[in-house]
Amino acid sequence: MTRFTVNNQPVEYRMAPETPLLWALRDASNLTGAKYGCGTGDCGACTVDVDGTAVRACQVTIGEIEGAFVTTIEGLARERDHPLQLAFIDANVPQCGFCIPGIIMAASVLLKKNAAPSDAEIEAAITNICRCGVYPRLVAAIQRAGRVLSGDETINAGARPGIDPAEAARSVPALTPPN
Amino acid sequence: MADDDKQGQFSRRTLLIGGGAGVGLLIAWAVWPRTYAPNLTAARGEHIMGAWLKIGEDGHIVVAVPQAEHGQGVYTTLPQIIADELGADWRTVGVEAAPLNPLYANPIAAGELFGDLFDALPKGLRAQHAEHALLMLTAGSSSVRRFESALHVAGAAARVALCKAAARRWNVDWQACGTAGGFVVHGADRLRFGDLAAAAAAEDVPDPLPLRGGQSDRLYGQSLPRIDVPAKVDGSANFAGDIRLPGMVYAAIRQGPVGDSRLVRTNRDAADRIRGVSAVIENPRWVAAVANNWWAANRALDALAPRFETKGAIVDSASIDAALDAALDGKGERMAKAGDLSTAFRDAQIVTADYRVALGVHAGIETMTATAERTDKGLELWLPTLAPGLARAAAAATLGIAEDRVTVHPMLVGGGFGANLEHQVAEQAALLADRLKRPVQLVWSRIEDLRHDRYRPAAAARMAGRLGANGGLLGWLAKIAAPATGTALARRLLPRDPAITAARALPGMGDAYAVAGAEPFYRIPHYAVDHHPAEIGVPTGHLRGGAHGYTAFFNECFVDELAHVSGTEALSFRISMLGGDARLARCLSTAAALGGWQGGVAGSGQGIACHRFRGSYIAVLAEARLEGGRPRVDRLVAAVDCGRLINPDVVRQQIESGLIFGMATALGAATGFTDNLADARGFGDLGLPLLADTPDITVELIRSEADPGGVGELGVPAVAPAIANAIQAATGMRLRSLPLRPDDA
Repeated sequence: MTRFTVNNQPVEYRMAPETPLLWALRDASNLTGAKYGCGTGDCGACTVDVDGTAVRACQVTIGEIEGAFVTTIEGLARERDHPLQLAFIDANVPQCGFCIPGIIMAASVLLKKNAAPSDAEIEAAITNICRCGVYPRLVAAIQRAGRVLSGDETINAGARPGIDPAEAARSVPALTPPN
Repeated sequence: MADDDKQGQFSRRTLLIGGGAGVGLLIAWAVWPRTYAPNLTAARGEHIMGAWLKIGEDGHIVVAVPQAEHGQGVYTTLPQIIADELGADWRTVGVEAAPLNPLYANPIAAGELFGDLFDALPKGLRAQHAEHALLMLTAGSSSVRRFESALHVAGAAARVALCKAAARRWNVDWQACGTAGGFVVHGADRLRFGDLAAAAAAEDVPDPLPLRGGQSDRLYGQSLPRIDVPAKVDGSANFAGDIRLPGMVYAAIRQGPVGDSRLVRTNRDAADRIRGVSAVIENPRWVAAVANNWWAANRALDALAPRFETKGAIVDSASIDAALDAALDGKGERMAKAGDLSTAFRDAQIVTADYRVALGVHAGIETMTATAERTDKGLELWLPTLAPGLARAAAAATLGIAEDRVTVHPMLVGGGFGANLEHQVAEQAALLADRLKRPVQLVWSRIEDLRHDRYRPAAAARMAGRLGANGGLLGWLAKIAAPATGTALARRLLPRDPAITAARALPGMGDAYAVAGAEPFYRIPHYAVDHHPAEIGVPTGHLRGGAHGYTAFFNECFVDELAHVSGTEALSFRISMLGGDARLARCLSTAAALGGWQGGVAGSGQGIACHRFRGSYIAVLAEARLEGGRPRVDRLVAAVDCGRLINPDVVRQQIESGLIFGMATALGAATGFTDNLADARGFGDLGLPLLADTPDITVELIRSEADPGGVGELGVPAVAPAIANAIQAATGMRLRSLPLRPDDA
């Protein structure tokens, strides 16, 4: 059986049960935030949250997670305002951006269990490969997101995705308010 | 249509502005084409202001960027220049990929890639040739160097036009108007850019154009937030593999081993039994499987068990080494020289050392990808490309249709590091779309990507040096064996270019690309650099930093060795020979001071190296040691002088990035070969650094008012020699091969 929940939506995939979760998400659900980088579990670009565990989506089949709850980067926050997303934007972490959804998902699982991870705990949890080399900014950004999650700090969010013109014009004088 | 008319007027006048509007613009105008019309397209309510800019009536600003965004931040830095000159509010600025147009040709990148082939053209013709050949290129850390002046001019032209439109409305002198925060301002009067856009697009602009004055409230020089970043944290940033078209199918491909390989057999029945597979398409050099999801397609390739027949000599690590050795022993061509080396070396005590570098892999996380759709008009391609004009030409030639029937949509690039200059995947996707008559997305598997990379060349160097009586260097000879990668790039990327073909036929066997960075920047009275072209049987291409990735390793390790022989401390040995290069000397002294340089003494584990290229300067201090027989890098300190900073944090980010990338190539990211196949089959074989391997990193950006130099590759070349020198200081062991493998030493 290939029935489980993706981003709070119940889904049944009419695909071969041995299909890796990654390809059900990408090619059947069009949830393309999880990326293919290797198919061997090395790079972590496809990391998603399966029942509270960070899982390489290329390494589990849709047949073996019957009934599971899967969260992808698209389901992490409705308005791009998860503390990790805000911290990554604020510290200019992403470069090419291809590995970032996987890193954020791995970090989100870590922070759910431990909002104040040490450097070593972050290094152990984030085993994703990033070829651009965002690593030097990662530990501080994840720890900051943890502090935001704990309510010890705030990060001003930028514009929400899908902000409407009237709201945008209220905060940016250079924009003309719609009639 | 009315917009189009205005666009024509505005742009033609803009283009005809001659002369210099300030010293910095003279160069831009010299290469600025006078005959190409901009071809931006406007959405409803948008007004086109030349080739770079659109302003919407609601106040939004769109900057067209011809360069590919592959992590280096070009979707931010180029718009930042224009927004600064315009006086815009950064929150209103967006970006879109520029269409193909000779206006965006990049002769600087062409020179870095194709080297002497491109430089063989008469100087006055290079720019025109780059335009004619539609050489839109993202390569060689050239984007800001190429386009900064043009963006200043475009921003100034739009600002003046907006001021004139406002002045007309207020009935005042436009020269008394200024801009700030997305408004034209005159005394207490303010008008939004958006309210003026339509009128401004019809305004005439003067020659010369005044550049925006005043130092306050400027966007230039500020660490503004990157435009591309928000979409990259929520999964909404689309890469070529994220395109979804109605009826689209997914394809995977397997190509034959390198060399002259042909497909001889497949097991189609086995592939047909895989659920979701709808087609198998065979080609002399590859086979592709097509399915309703990529995983099924890729699985079908295994079931097909394709067999290839390869003619010619077997290529393996030993044959590559032998080819480099044979090249070194054979004839070379002198590529650079000074003084009289043969006299300097005669009867003297010469220090020699041999170095070697393995094939380097790109290994961006995004594998080669293209989405293609055959349409009534021709072909549409969604492509992560660094050379959209060349990819279009290749796809058109593949299908035998006119180039203007192919539309290339340049997508964000998932790393790539130069790999996306190549366009095999575009040709393959074009063929698949043509055969399938429906949209298709072709994604190479990781193993395919590693096996059919255009590798950074394997290379070998035989270095010889003579110390002078005063402790400096009297003579230096670098004999470098490496494939002629510049020629290979030109042959592959510009196959139908008559000028390049003619240049290739000129006498001379050397290849400027292959030895770029080898000419010593130290003051050495007698030196020579020889290129010994090597036929290694493996295709080579451009990898971030190009040949500098190995020439800096050869030079900066050898300088270190010479310092040791002369008994001089390695930092002062270098600085004493940098009399004419204050910027590089300052990088060295800054890195040494910040890093607490202990003189490189035995046991310190500290190494230093420097490099200058693409108009920028860097010195790197590394602290490294061996841990369980493997190099471990604890610390990297970089001091950088890359001229004026447009966006300091983006520069810092790129230096960090280059340092990590350089460390990866120092410690791994390479492959050997066996039976015409790369040994590296996955990331697990590459030894790439993870977060836990990341050293403590310090980046110091030295204040400079010089014109901006290149930044994207700058961090890379000096890292490997700095680490090798540090390992020497830690262990006494001199590692002369990349990747650094103590076991082989």
